[in-house]
Amino acid sequence: MSDQGIKSKPTYGKIAGDKAARYQLLLVEGAEIPAEVLAEGVDPSAFETWTVAHASALPAAPMMDEAPGTVRPFRSASHMFSALEERLDRETMGLRFYAVGAEPFLWDAFNIASAAGLSQQEMQFAHVGPKARRIYCVHCRTLMDGVTTSIVTCTGCGAPLFVRDHFSKRLASYMGVQVDAEAPGEVPAAEELYK
Amino acid sequence: MTVQFKPAETFRDMFNFKKSPEDILRFPFPFPEDEYMYSVNIEPHVKGGPTAAFQAAFDIDEHYIAECRERERVLKEDPKRCQVLPHMATAEWDTLELIMESLASDYPEHFSLSKAGDVWTWVNRPLGIHQTFTFGKAETLPYGPFEYITRQVQGDFTLQDQRDDMLYVDGGMVTTQADWSFEFNIGMSFMEWHGPVPVAHEAGVFERALKYLMRLQYGQPVRRLNWTMTINPRLDTSPENYPVWGPDRTTVTPENVGDKVHLRVELQTLFRLPRSNAILFGIRCYLAPLNDLVKVPKWRRRLHRVLRGLRPELAEYKGMTRYRQTAVDYLAALDDGAPTSKGIAPEIDKLEG
Repeated sequence: MSDQGIKSKPTYGKIAGDKAARYQLLLVEGAEIPAEVLAEGVDPSAFETWTVAHASALPAAPMMDEAPGTVRPFRSASHMFSALEERLDRETMGLRFYAVGAEPFLWDAFNIASAAGLSQQEMQFAHVGPKARRIYCVHCRTLMDGVTTSIVTCTGCGAPLFVRDHFSKRLASYMGVQVDAEAPGEVPAAEELYK
Repeated sequence: MTVQFKPAETFRDMFNFKKSPEDILRFPFPFPEDEYMYSVNIEPHVKGGPTAAFQAAFDIDEHYIAECRERERVLKEDPKRCQVLPHMATAEWDTLELIMESLASDYPEHFSLSKAGDVWTWVNRPLGIHQTFTFGKAETLPYGPFEYITRQVQGDFTLQDQRDDMLYVDGGMVTTQADWSFEFNIGMSFMEWHGPVPVAHEAGVFERALKYLMRLQYGQPVRRLNWTMTINPRLDTSPENYPVWGPDRTTVTPENVGDKVHLRVELQTLFRLPRSNAILFGIRCYLAPLNDLVKVPKWRRRLHRVLRGLRPELAEYKGMTRYRQTAVDYLAALDDGAPTSKGIAPEIDKLEG
């Protein structure tokens, strides 16, 4: 059950950096860069780093220098993403883009960077933090965050959904499919799998 | 012989669907041998072939009008079954040109295309369409060019962009699919959208197919057959509507198995497009109930042997677990054990019975 053998399930490595980069921007879903996400010999002072403080009283820092070694904190991931589009619009060829965090954070960042014209070869992702999943109900298109179980009830249409390993980067979500569609009421017990 | 269209057919609710004897004999039966396993099985998409379904670039049969109407209904219910990402605009016009030119050349009695510079006139007699438009100017058509033309052809279509040594599914018209979600898959790489298929990844099928397809040449389209089974002649077996059609799988009995269980075949075609360098992927769906297929002696023997020997993980993936044994039992009684010849041709000109 824990490995469904579906190849669209993303795999992750460490942030290795890129010596050929003109400039490197790292997003972290947390206040600090977790040491374990960096490949051996990678010095984070080579990156401009954006972090998430998860705190509302943070002063905005509009005059922050954009330079290797600077660290810019944001109140939340949403706060960070709201500034990211504008930041990437001003970038040119040679940027390398890295993100560290939980899965929905990584693929939200991926989608913003893709829309700004970066290709996947110009990005690196490291997965840390909770394994909880964002689920897309294939029947009614509701998105649900923080799903930790093999079966979850859709908050949109009420269907008991089996959480598949089939992953859409565009939706930053795994697919949920009604588990008792053929025989209504035949719902297996949910298992805690994604913590 | 001119095909008789059957506009009153339906692929849902009461399932008013019936194949003529000619339509049964032209079915693209998918099993060249008594055993089935995944393979790349790609061949040139040239006219001719083992049944009449292979005689045109885009096959039109007696279900044409009814299938176009079914597509219209699905799009009304769920407009996102047709989407094209913005960078694929050139591929949209490539598709329109390819389909219009092919239909006009293969079926001059039904379709015609005339061009005065960029001003084209398209006539579709079965659907009663007469449209003058400017090629390259989307505002001169009632829909985007890809949606416009794929509303007038049977079967699903996707558009593949080729970049970074990979194919991406960046557009499509998907209303008659075998249980895959276009809204979920749009934007995926070739490897990601085939992610759920069991066994074939380990066999290296997708690596080989991808390499082959990335070298696909303009003017040299290719094809392959794929198959599954569907209960009732239902075209829209999307995951979106799985709660609607899923219960059908519990309704198969020894008495109704021949009418209810349909072999669902996809004639998959791939065309390199000239301006965009994208690939148009056609997924043309054919349905036939077991009762029709058993009228061909070779097909009834072979279908029995294939289903009997199908690997359990493939049967599970194809959703056949609940009714497979009932279908095998029904076919077993009709298999006299005689050897079968290789290939898919029916090898008869008239049906039995």
